[in-house]
Amino acid sequence: MTHRARACLMRQISWTGRLLAACALALGALGALATAAPAASAAATASTSGWLRLANLSPGAPTFDIYLYAVGSTDARLVLRGISYGMVSGYQVIPAGSYTVATRMAGQPASSAPALSSTVAVSAGHAYTMASTGPSSDPRLELLSDQLTTPKGRAVVRIIQASLHESQVTVTASGHVLARDLAFGSATTYATVPPGHWNVRAAGRTMSATARDAWTAGTSYTLVVLDGAGHLELECLTDGSGSKAMPGGGAEMGFGGTALRPGPSSLRWLAGMTGGALIAACGGLWLRRTRAAA
Amino acid sequence: MSPARPELHHEPPYLDVQSPVHVRVPGFALRIRVPGRKLQRTLAVAVLVLGLGITASSAAGLISGRPGRPAVYAAPEVAPAPHGRWAAAPSEETVAVQRVPPPVFLTIPAIGVRTRLIRLGLTASGALQAPRTTSVAGWYSGSPRPGAIGSAVIGGHVDSYVGPGVFFRLRLLHRGDRIFIRQGNGRLAVFWVSSVHRYLKSRFPTSAVYGPVPTPQLRLITCGGTFDPARGSYLSNVIVYATLIS
Repeated sequence: MTHRARACLMRQISWTGRLLAACALALGALGALATAAPAASAAATASTSGWLRLANLSPGAPTFDIYLYAVGSTDARLVLRGISYGMVSGYQVIPAGSYTVATRMAGQPASSAPALSSTVAVSAGHAYTMASTGPSSDPRLELLSDQLTTPKGRAVVRIIQASLHESQVTVTASGHVLARDLAFGSATTYATVPPGHWNVRAAGRTMSATARDAWTAGTSYTLVVLDGAGHLELECLTDGSGSKAMPGGGAEMGFGGTALRPGPSSLRWLAGMTGGALIAACGGLWLRRTRAAA
Repeated sequence: MSPARPELHHEPPYLDVQSPVHVRVPGFALRIRVPGRKLQRTLAVAVLVLGLGITASSAAGLISGRPGRPAVYAAPEVAPAPHGRWAAAPSEETVAVQRVPPPVFLTIPAIGVRTRLIRLGLTASGALQAPRTTSVAGWYSGSPRPGAIGSAVIGGHVDSYVGPGVFFRLRLLHRGDRIFIRQGNGRLAVFWVSSVHRYLKSRFPTSAVYGPVPTPQLRLITCGGTFDPARGSYLSNVIVYATLIS
């Protein structure tokens, strides 16, 4: 081999080596880019609110307005007007924190002194019922903590006794006793019941009330025993409700027809780039050689 | 074997290039015609240009072939908000005891969604069933009915194998957008979007989506994030949280 041939070969090797090194570097960088795809995640926003509902469960009490203040504030955050006996508001979403609940006779100015007031500490994700209870001669505000969760596949139910017609009532569901001799102004804890249709009966010494309620798994209820006109009344409130059965994990709701497809196509293009660069290098070398030979 | 012969053998013909010359390949009855210098130069330039061209077009392909977002599809027609008999704002104590009929139709004007609602159950493995077709959404019948107390769950596909599904634009919803659900009795429940989130399926917020709440709420679910072609599955779920306003 002549000296010139060797020099040309060496040049060629060093060129090819450099080219290959550059290609490898580019491939490596692209590979790293591809694998470092952004990890899709959005942190679950922790709920910072709780729920509060307000009720008038004082038999014979006048209709009143209910005010809700953040503790230390004189601006009412919420006003529910015209709440008469037996009325229960829907749950109000409020930021976790301490609040003052005040009642005034319906139509009284907000600046007047409240008839009743009480404070409530609302925790995030929890639900509460603030109710006026007791006879109209001695009403008071009472806070009940409401249960939203249930055992798997079950419903839960509690009873509030707000009837003065019968100072004590016994509540049964299709013959099963839920509360025996429950005194006026008191409430039971939640009892776990199988879901289904139930014949609910509330009975005192002389009066009674019946209702047919459908209780669903994953749902919590409050039964309220109320005074009617010369009879008892039963009202079933839904406290909270979720799915009867919790599906496991995420949901498969896509087939990828609109998804980004990295990988095969990129490799094809990269191979094309490498091949093209090699061809160009060969052409360049050839050109150099023909020039040198000239 | 004389030492002179291998020297001749190894001498590449191009090293002694002169104007058109015939090289005799030893051992073969062949004569290779080496082209002239001018022609060689032209060919070299051609090869160089060809190589550069291939490199450039491949680079262009690489750049345009890795789009930052999927292909653009036709903008949604702006669906009018449904009208008709609107649900009367339920008085507070009736919300709790009202029997709400199952949902039949879903309209989301902001992203052009108009679909009837089928019913979804659970798969054998206990996951949320997906609608059989990608063009309709479904209500998970194990969840509360939309408009009743609790979190009602509606799922729909983001795409099919070839194009967008009914919830393709779900992730584009914003806080404050309206969602309309027509119930079996013809009444309309109106929901207000409170937030839109994307979660890795491995960190799915089961209790936030399916767990109990004391107010009427709605969750819309579809897929999102990165698609894993090996598993044929998206790695994330997009979830829209909404609350009943009327």
